[in-house]
Amino acid sequence: MTAPSAPAPAPAPAPAPGRGAARRARGALTGAVAPPPRPSRLAPRALSAAVVVVVVAAFWSVDISWGRLADLPSEVVRYLWLMFSAPDWSALPEALRQTWRSVAMAWLGTVLGILVATPLSLLAARGHGPAPVRGALRLVFAVIRAVPEIIIAIVILSVTGLTPLTGALALAVNGVGTLGKWGYEAIEGIGRGPVEAVRAVGGSGAHVLRWGVWPEVLPAFGSFWLYRFEINVRSSAVLGLIGVGGIGDMLTSYTQYRQWSTVGVLLIVVVVVTVAIDAASGALRRRIMEGARARAVQP
Amino acid sequence: MSAADVAAPVRPGRAGRPAPVPPARPAGRWKAAAGWAAVLAVTALTLAPGIGVEVDLGAIARNWRNGADKIVALLQPDWSFFPRTVGPLLETLQMAVVATAVAGIVSLPLSLWAARTTNPHRLLRGAVRGVLNVVRAVPDLLYAAVLVAMVGVGALPGILALVLFDVGIVVKLVSEQLEAADTGALEAARAAGGTQLQVNRSVAVPDMLPGFWNQLLYVLELNVRASSVLGLVGAGGMGLLIDAVRSFYRYDQLSLIILEILVVVLVLEAVSSAARRRLL
Repeated sequence: MTAPSAPAPAPAPAPAPGRGAARRARGALTGAVAPPPRPSRLAPRALSAAVVVVVVAAFWSVDISWGRLADLPSEVVRYLWLMFSAPDWSALPEALRQTWRSVAMAWLGTVLGILVATPLSLLAARGHGPAPVRGALRLVFAVIRAVPEIIIAIVILSVTGLTPLTGALALAVNGVGTLGKWGYEAIEGIGRGPVEAVRAVGGSGAHVLRWGVWPEVLPAFGSFWLYRFEINVRSSAVLGLIGVGGIGDMLTSYTQYRQWSTVGVLLIVVVVVTVAIDAASGALRRRIMEGARARAVQP
Repeated sequence: MSAADVAAPVRPGRAGRPAPVPPARPAGRWKAAAGWAAVLAVTALTLAPGIGVEVDLGAIARNWRNGADKIVALLQPDWSFFPRTVGPLLETLQMAVVATAVAGIVSLPLSLWAARTTNPHRLLRGAVRGVLNVVRAVPDLLYAAVLVAMVGVGALPGILALVLFDVGIVVKLVSEQLEAADTGALEAARAAGGTQLQVNRSVAVPDMLPGFWNQLLYVLELNVRASSVLGLVGAGGMGLLIDAVRSFYRYDQLSLIILEILVVVLVLEAVSSAARRRLL
């Protein structure tokens, strides 16, 4: 913190015209070009000092016995060996069934989220919805995005119980937050041309949405939907932890019973399924977006 | 779609120039219909009894009162619970900060190794990317669940889970940014005789730093959100408390916890978006 922080304030008697101003004046007289005054380094230095203080304080105060880190590598190797040296493949059929259940949860959550978020994002877009509604919806989206979906699931399960439906609903609610935000941003980002064209030929508000906005944003929306599905596949595995079923449920119980050879199989299933779905959905997303671009350049 | 549409005769306009012809309807409109049909079919499959998400509307109707009571409790936060939430909330923030710092240190070299422009060795690059693809596929809470069993409860498994999760994200985003960056400066440094290490240190690293800080900020936000629930599996922070109030059905206390997470996340989002504006 002894860093040479602030450039000393200008000489006491005349604070306003500092050294830079004097140099500029001289430059103007001699016709030379004076270099611009150095920008103040005070703010960046204070900022980095604050960041360092926060990080050091966090390291210093967090309740960890750092000694445990020393045997961590050998422990990790030991557990990895327990998990993957002799995987118990007899659990595979049940694991696949539970994975399907998780994926079904994710899919249903995505579909419900799309159905709710699409009209809401239209209402929340500047130029399409009334201003008070727009502000309220944006606040709702922000609040939903700030709450982890597992907490949303805890709230919802008081009505629906510990069923996969709870998971799907939690994912749908969370999806409304993200899809709604991406949606209104995409709608606000489209060019004015198509909208004005529809207005110019006498289209109503609904016509503008259907023929001006919707064709423009559909590729982006499709890409968001697929991306949200990828997120939901991951999250649905997590939601199992509170007992709504699916692969996460199975994984926690086998971890608690310390059946490592089964846990290894479950992790392999999670990784393979997630990577496969990501790859398929990513390819589809690229196809959608590139198709949109190719169409856009056509005369 | 028909051939007649495509090869519409060019009618001569008044000045002898061809009049504008409406463009042909794009071919392959059935594809969209097939897509929607497939979506409907899969949705029906996920709802099928026995194999998918069972929707038991009767149970919902029966539990409706119960749920309504919980919602009422949620709307009346128990403010007297606040003192007990301060400690876990601080631990959540500590875990997030420590994990972000460690992830930053780990992912700086890994990002350079994972990008084509800064690591010409295809095998090493492929290995780094492959491992990180696998790392990224596992959600943070599953890491935490397994790590708690490995190293015991507390903040340590939570931090480790967050670090694993963060490194996966940061390295992917930063290495993509490195590959998208202009290669002129890199080529100049190489032409001046620099080794790959020198080139990376003097050109690539300064070039990527703003984006790198940006991703770390993003990851810090993710970490605060995630570390508030990692405790559900015993990995420290706010989640331990969530688990406790959940098992006692104290939804009034849960609502206070949700409010606190909400405030912290929204404040952090505001701060980081201000920092981001300065950065980029």
